[in-house]
Amino acid sequence: MPSADVKAEYAGLVKAAATGDRGAMEALLVKAQEVAYRFSLLVCGHPEDAEDVMQDALLKTYQHVARISEPDAFRTWLYRTVRNACLMKRRRRVGEPSNFVSVERGIDTVDGTVHVDVTDPSRAIDQRLIDGWVDGRLRQALRRLPAPYRMIVVMREIEGLSTKEVAAIAGVSEANVKTRLHRARLMLRKQLEHV
Amino acid sequence: MSAPTNTCQEILTNISGYLDGELDASACDAIDRHCLECASCAALVNGLRETLGLCRQAATAPLPDAVRQRARESVRRLLDRQEKES
Repeated sequence: MPSADVKAEYAGLVKAAATGDRGAMEALLVKAQEVAYRFSLLVCGHPEDAEDVMQDALLKTYQHVARISEPDAFRTWLYRTVRNACLMKRRRRVGEPSNFVSVERGIDTVDGTVHVDVTDPSRAIDQRLIDGWVDGRLRQALRRLPAPYRMIVVMREIEGLSTKEVAAIAGVSEANVKTRLHRARLMLRKQLEHV
Repeated sequence: MSAPTNTCQEILTNISGYLDGELDASACDAIDRHCLECASCAALVNGLRETLGLCRQAATAPLPDAVRQRARESVRRLLDRQEKES
């Protein structure tokens, strides 16, 4: 579905939910959790955080809907909220603050920004569900991308957000999103050749 | 495989615009013609098409039923609780 249609669908649900339509609220909250699940797994690469991030998205969306002034901006708000929840979850993990890796930045080295996978395999909940959901090669290749590139390519190519929306979520210019997307596609293609 | 040319470099620069349909017809034709003669660029274009195809498959893959079910249950619990409290 084109990005504008999805945006309009979200805006319609937000308006209806704000007027007390329980069906619209349910649909919106389920969508918010689905976004949280996909983002946790594909961008942050932390299946063990997915449940908490989904819960966070549920509560924040419920609280936000009643006072939202721009329904058209809801989708952008949701992804920003989910991204922040993923980051905060990492920060809160006991023993991991010094290893915190920003989704935005990854880790800078003399050779450039590199992705660091800090997933704890012992807590890989839902692994069978995840394996049956998205092509394993694609997930593996995504994990190998530097974090800022992974986020851009997932939001544009999988989540179907527009360049403008991704720029607003990531806090960068649209030109920067296009440049990163171009590089991310090339990197992803290269990684897919090796998995 | 032949050595990369300036045209190869141009294609590398414009490949995203080409795949996104943002280039005009003459620029697209030039890339198509070049790919007929350059195996390396043809492989690049095909590889990127395959990559984007995998992403689109992921985009349309429904979440696991168990995850969707848990999400729906969480929503109902929250809304039922809020209705009782109000």
